[in-house]
Amino acid sequence: MDFDHALLLSKGRKVKKNIKPEILVLGIDTGGTYTDGVLLEYNSHRIISTHKSLTTKQDFSIGIENVIKEIELEDPSAIQMVSISTTLATNAIAEGKGKRVALFLIGYDPEIIDSFNMGGRFATPHYFYINGGHNLHGQEQEDLDLPALLEKTKAIKNKVDAIAVSSYFSPRNPEHEIRSQKAIASICELPIVLGHQLSTSLGSVERATTAALNASLLAVLQEFIIAVRRAMEHRGIDAPLMVVRGDGTLMNDEFAARSPVETIHSGPAASAIGGRFLSNINEGLVLDIGGTTTDLAFIKDGKVTISETGASVSGYKTSVKAANLLSIGLGGDSHITLDRGNVLSIGPERVIPLAYLSYQYSNVKERLRALAKRGWPAPYPRELEYWFLQRDINDRNSYTAREQEVIDILRSGPKPATEILKSLGFLDSSQIDISNLWREEVIGKSGFTPTDILHIDGRYTPWDGQASQAALTVFSNYLNWPEEKFHPVLWENITETITKSVIHFLTKMDIPEKNDPQYTLANWFLQNSLQPGHEQLATQIQLKVPLIGIGAPAEVMLQETARVLNTELILPKHFQVASAAGAVAGSVVVTEEILIYPQLSNGNFDVIGYYVQARENRVEIAELDDAVAYAKKIAKDNALSAALRSGADNPQVVVDVIQDGMDSYQIKARAVGKPRLGG
Amino acid sequence: MNKIDTNKAYQILWEKITSLSLAPGEILDIAALGDELQFSQSSIQEALRLLIHDHLVDAPPRGLFVADLHFSDLEKISTIRLNLETLAAQQAARNANADDFIILQSLCEEVAADTREHFELDQRFHQAIAQSAHNTYLEDTLKHFYGLSKRLWFIALPYLDFLPSAVKSHINLVTAIQNRNEPLAMEIMQSHIEEFYLKIREIISDKNLIGK
Repeated sequence: MDFDHALLLSKGRKVKKNIKPEILVLGIDTGGTYTDGVLLEYNSHRIISTHKSLTTKQDFSIGIENVIKEIELEDPSAIQMVSISTTLATNAIAEGKGKRVALFLIGYDPEIIDSFNMGGRFATPHYFYINGGHNLHGQEQEDLDLPALLEKTKAIKNKVDAIAVSSYFSPRNPEHEIRSQKAIASICELPIVLGHQLSTSLGSVERATTAALNASLLAVLQEFIIAVRRAMEHRGIDAPLMVVRGDGTLMNDEFAARSPVETIHSGPAASAIGGRFLSNINEGLVLDIGGTTTDLAFIKDGKVTISETGASVSGYKTSVKAANLLSIGLGGDSHITLDRGNVLSIGPERVIPLAYLSYQYSNVKERLRALAKRGWPAPYPRELEYWFLQRDINDRNSYTAREQEVIDILRSGPKPATEILKSLGFLDSSQIDISNLWREEVIGKSGFTPTDILHIDGRYTPWDGQASQAALTVFSNYLNWPEEKFHPVLWENITETITKSVIHFLTKMDIPEKNDPQYTLANWFLQNSLQPGHEQLATQIQLKVPLIGIGAPAEVMLQETARVLNTELILPKHFQVASAAGAVAGSVVVTEEILIYPQLSNGNFDVIGYYVQARENRVEIAELDDAVAYAKKIAKDNALSAALRSGADNPQVVVDVIQDGMDSYQIKARAVGKPRLGG
Repeated sequence: MNKIDTNKAYQILWEKITSLSLAPGEILDIAALGDELQFSQSSIQEALRLLIHDHLVDAPPRGLFVADLHFSDLEKISTIRLNLETLAAQQAARNANADDFIILQSLCEEVAADTREHFELDQRFHQAIAQSAHNTYLEDTLKHFYGLSKRLWFIALPYLDFLPSAVKSHINLVTAIQNRNEPLAMEIMQSHIEEFYLKIREIISDKNLIGK
């Protein structure tokens, strides 16, 4: 049997039948391991059916297509909205799958960038300095060097797929970005992204990075949306398609295709919204335990808290607004191994559980059982690791000879990693370079995971628990532990990791290493709170809000954490698919920001009027009151119109005036509406 | 209408039709195009609707076809383009700004490697002139005619060898625009377009490339 493709893992589950819902919506969440779908009735929040597919990182749309194709649904034409949270953008950036971008930095000082070593922060190696830019007051600091810009564009246009332009202080005056766009568009047809269109933040490096990342993701998200639309049509679904932003709000597909960078952290944000949506709790800590990661977010006043600084992704700091999140490499399918000191270690690597591999290939169980029976010397737990072929390749020549060799070995089925390495003359997997095969998910890895433990305990048993049991015996034999000792050690380990990340997330303080002599008391306090051991002193940490657990393994993996944190664990109904529910629960929100800043006299000493800068349009107004009144009106109108275009139904606008330094003001209009539904 | 799908499908189909990879008269099957290009059928349908409006697709009572090409089309298109391009040159000489001069200069300095690149460069140049006229309606109208003309040029392209010299006349045109010499700009543009269509007409007629 071929191990390939999401369909193998696709399992439909109907929750309730014969319900005549009023408004059906379909929420889809693509996590690192699974793509979940939830069909629900929009007004009552009643979940009608759910579906789980394996996420195909090679092409995210495959997992989504499977959900759309397979989810139990009586009348596809009744669906009024499809909404998706996707890790596509985050993943594309992390794995370098974005398109190649040339970034023009207008008026940036190369010396400053170099002296602070900020060149690596632009998310593209092709960045070029062009003279020009404005100052804080929106005055031109230097003429735009258009000939140099065109010369550079000519030289690079056939080597990149998109162009980003960020001009110094462009939110105050975007003139140089706009002129650059016009000139570049005259000599090539590449898509062009301008910094001021994505951010009104004055942080010039973050704005440039945001523009570069957005440019690199344009085609990626566009292809994705086209594929999802096609899958919807095949299933007979004719409805608006929405995408979740990194702050949990929604935008329609057209907006998402223009500003894909806003989908960074869309998945974890949807989890948090889903936790709130299903639990109806207005304040709490949401922990989403997926197959690959555990994501933490905080709910306050019924909303996901937003990060004060912009979202960071793969080390790149952007000016994109996103939920305040922490993601750790621990999930239900995290690999359980022994480290060099024979200490049990979990994650961050994600593998396929042995229970599942054995369920697909019966010979795996036979070998695992034989290993478990083997006496002294007990086999090393590393022997439990399997490699398998996930998909066949079309073009052998794009792989190294060694990689082709490994593919050939795996054609007949999964093989223990130790056997493969031995047959190729290696002792350890670190000696063999087959990185393309892992990155492109041509081959996969299977090993012992918390999901196997759940099989052994009988708490979650869709696959082959006997294989999991044999693997546990191998660990116990090697460590010379009774099997019953394994569980507490493992759960303690998981609880400790999660609890420490909760403390780190809420305090923003680093957790000291266990043996760091500088932090003896802090470490003692922490350890004594996690595992009380002192005869006279009791310590405890208390989380003052409930823990909202979501994701399939949450029920098992969070009980102990809630006990240690002295709080209540809330598992809302359908907590296993809360993220997909979160994808439809958000509102459409558009924020329009307008800047008012002073127009100075020639000597820059006197304020002679005010500029109202609304994106590319700048108006001069003599009196501040008139400028504020005008800006408020424009901000409101623009926000309203953008919200309608972004798919909001009857949006309501609130306008705030914020003083932003001497004589400068930010006018923020926030339009909020429920997504517009309709077939 | 889903704009992302439709726009992308439109761009791809426009390119296929204007570069003749979908030949004049060819049947257009919506389902087959959807499968081939991996688009939803509704977006292909919307894109074809836009192409009907562009006169690039014909929709008789039954079926959809790539619009046929006739010699008379060449006459009609060249007449309108001649007038519009001349008007664009005049308006550019009147309205072009410093950025436009830099852009036009930069395009003049570009060197093409082959006839097809010359052709594309020539097109960019004409679009830049239209842009320098600072009249959106004129620019949009010229864009529309560009699609119609492109098919005729593509038919003649394998036999064209005069484009390098045609590109050279761009330099004189830019100088006239920079000098704000409207009559000269119009004159250069007129002879440039006339020479071009004369050559195309000769090739198409000599080689019998399309029907009357």
